[in-house]
Amino acid sequence: MNPLSRTAFSSIFSIAAGGAALLLAASLVAQPRPSGLTQKLTASAIQIERTDPPEDLLVPEAFRVSTYENVIREVTKTNKFQHVYRSGDRTAADVPDLVILHMIPQAFKEGSQKKREVTTVAGSTSIEMKVQFTSRDGKVLLEKDLEGKVRFFGENLRATYDIAKKVAAVVNDTF
Amino acid sequence: MKTTSTQIGAVVSNQREIAWRSPRLASLLVAALAVVLVARASPMFSQQPATAQAPQSTSIPDVKCVIGLETFEPNTKGTLSLLPTGLEFATGKNKADITTASIQDIFTGEESRQDVSGTAGTVAKLAIPYGGGRIVSLFSHGVELLTVDYVDSNGGSHGTIFVLPPGKATELRNQLIAQGANVTTHVEPPEPKDQKP
Repeated sequence: MNPLSRTAFSSIFSIAAGGAALLLAASLVAQPRPSGLTQKLTASAIQIERTDPPEDLLVPEAFRVSTYENVIREVTKTNKFQHVYRSGDRTAADVPDLVILHMIPQAFKEGSQKKREVTTVAGSTSIEMKVQFTSRDGKVLLEKDLEGKVRFFGENLRATYDIAKKVAAVVNDTF
Repeated sequence: MKTTSTQIGAVVSNQREIAWRSPRLASLLVAALAVVLVARASPMFSQQPATAQAPQSTSIPDVKCVIGLETFEPNTKGTLSLLPTGLEFATGKNKADITTASIQDIFTGEESRQDVSGTAGTVAKLAIPYGGGRIVSLFSHGVELLTVDYVDSNGGSHGTIFVLPPGKATELRNQLIAQGANVTTHVEPPEPKDQKP
């Protein structure tokens, strides 16, 4: 190896090493905070309100009911609350530290199971939803945008199960 | 030979005489006949009230409850019956009722389901070589969804979704309305294109 190529090699190596170090530093800075550092919310009970889509968004009732019922099932499974109340339940009025979960659909696209399974690229069903945890007086404690999808296998209503699992994950992280 | 046939004839006539003369045997014969007649007649009599009740109660077997009944796991199959008091979903072991008075709204909608579905069906489709599973996916059948909104004794809102054969959900909805169930006017969302005939 002649001296010229040795110099070129060392300079290329130093540039690559510098770049790698920069990338590593940037990724460390960009990492989200560990969840232990965020303050968790506490509540003994939660009331889950029915999904309430805006007037200009048509969501079939089966999807609304399926989302509501799946979210109740999945939030109950988290065991984070002593009681999970349904929308309209009068007995929730006596709970002092009640948290209320609102689900507001933002977008909805009904696909087709046949299209999904035949083409594998088309026919997906998706539902986007704003999820809000509020106190009894209406103060927003946490707000998240979530999306439920069924891309390949399964019936269209499975998108509601997907979003319910995501709501349960948020509950697990937040409470 | 002549002697033998004469002997046999004598034995038979002797037995007949015994049968006719014995009052105990005769009464047994009459009793057996009566039992046979009653056994044949009783189902006919018992079927009459059932036929008369048919318009009041409708039972649809092999209905899938997608979600919403707390005593059942999602996607349980059972029999959905319309009783004079409301809806009843029952399997061999368990049953759940939705009273007409508790119903807040009823929705129906058409959908299609794959003929071969479920975990086993999906695995089978994947196992077919050269993408043959996609051909199987082309076969589907129409179903009708019945979505029922109702409230419990505390005012808590519930929703249940049933998958029924085509036409049955509308029929049940109309019968529930006739019983006095609450319904509102609905704006139906457009159906996906591939579901149109």
